[in-house]
Amino acid sequence: MADVHPLQVVNLSKQFPRKKRLGSVQAVANISFNVRQGEIVGFIGHNGAGKTTTIKCILGLLKLTNGRISLWDDVPAHPNVRKRIGYIPENPDYDDSFHPMEYLRMFASMRGLADVNSEWMKLLKRVGLTGWETTRIRQFSKGMRQRMSLALALQSNPDLLIMDEPTGGLDPIARKEFREIILEENKRGASVFLSSHILSDVETICDRAVILSGGKLMAEGSMTDLLGEEHLYRITVISRKTGEEVEETIPEADLQSRIDSIRKDNLPIVKVEMALKSLEDVFMAATGGEKQ
Amino acid sequence: MKAVFTFSLMTLRMLFRRRTLWGILLVILLALAGIASVPSFDVSNQGRFILDFGLFGIEVGALLLALGLAATLFPRDRETRTLMPLIAVPLARWQYLLGRFMGAALVQAAALLVTCLGLMLILLFHRLPIPGDLLPATLLIIIEGWFLLSTVFFFSFFTSPPLNWPLTTMLFIVSQMSVAEFVGIMPSAPGLMRTIRMILPHADVFHIKDPIAHGFEIEPVYFLIAIFYGLCYSAFMLSLALAVFRGRDLK
Repeated sequence: MADVHPLQVVNLSKQFPRKKRLGSVQAVANISFNVRQGEIVGFIGHNGAGKTTTIKCILGLLKLTNGRISLWDDVPAHPNVRKRIGYIPENPDYDDSFHPMEYLRMFASMRGLADVNSEWMKLLKRVGLTGWETTRIRQFSKGMRQRMSLALALQSNPDLLIMDEPTGGLDPIARKEFREIILEENKRGASVFLSSHILSDVETICDRAVILSGGKLMAEGSMTDLLGEEHLYRITVISRKTGEEVEETIPEADLQSRIDSIRKDNLPIVKVEMALKSLEDVFMAATGGEKQ
Repeated sequence: MKAVFTFSLMTLRMLFRRRTLWGILLVILLALAGIASVPSFDVSNQGRFILDFGLFGIEVGALLLALGLAATLFPRDRETRTLMPLIAVPLARWQYLLGRFMGAALVQAAALLVTCLGLMLILLFHRLPIPGDLLPATLLIIIEGWFLLSTVFFFSFFTSPPLNWPLTTMLFIVSQMSVAEFVGIMPSAPGLMRTIRMILPHADVFHIKDPIAHGFEIEPVYFLIAIFYGLCYSAFMLSLALAVFRGRDLK
């Protein structure tokens, strides 16, 4: 029997009609990918690449123009499927006359969970909202609203976390805390689908990445595949002609022979270091560095 | 259904915390006080005058409450993105619609009962008798209010609040018209106008202010039929609203 993936997107296309019925805009074109059990998958792309549109299609907020989306082999709208999802929207907002505890109690009731006050206090502590339990959301900063959103997403111990730019606009400490919570959730067994602009976050915590540009899938694979298994080294020497430092990047296999050849030429070696390919390099190469 | 009840309670709490409700309620109560302060030339007619205009004031209040409470609910949820986490995870679209409607309907009913209480106090202040049918008459206005609320919900899924107000008010006015009055709008096509009038709601079934003001008794079966009609029409409008909402992309 084939593995049942928490999320499977097959040939997804989404078009939006233009205003005044002047044709349509292709937001997402024929993309396919999946999130396997226990994986953290990064979903990256520039502004307007179609990331949020894809997520909204997954959550049933947008109707698909074409293709198929399944969550554990079921339709996204199925109540049993929805119970297993935790979702953090981009720029989350809530009715600001309520406070976090009220929201947690109401969401618990709507999700059919037992209302355990101590559990919600623990949850708010985990996301860094201790002391703010009964403060009206209107007094919350953007970062605090994101923490509140994280608490609501984690409330039901979801099997799949779908996060749309969860760390956008957060300070470095808060971003680190978010990353740690995502890793803890993954350790618990949750699969994570993380859309982010912050490539370093994706590179640090994700097992795989899906790169989108102009609504099209440009690359997909494990971090090892995308970043390459081959180690590169950067050798810095002083040029005999100009007297300036010159850098050269070469594969590990050629490292020793190149050092020997430099020594033979009596060139002073300043340093030899590992040259790591970053996700940013992969992203720029996959999207052609285009800004849309 | 537990999710719907919880969400309706959330809506109820939210609406009670908004100033719009209290503003509209104050306007209705001031209008009732204004009606009661108008001197009647004939003292024997004063009770009839207060009852007639008071119930009319409560009815207009039902329209104002429906518009004030519900016209901005969905557009605001969408604009502030509070809708996304709700619809995406714990609630289905029908649960969202029903929860919001039930919450708003309870708030509207409570506000209309307060206005009815206000009318009773005015009658007592003038040492006038309180007719036994005043509460049932208010109940019928509450049912009419729910029908108006469902209409506001229906329009709110595809129009902006500034457009919702005239559309609902227009339907409110049309629903008060008799068949003859409606045919009078376009006398050249009486058959078509009669058919349209048959389909459009008949809010006149909820109006018993004249018989009450004149001291006539209303048969209990009439109340039951009017309540049944109002609830059925509200359910019909909500079904239409759901059909529109289901077809909508939530960008």
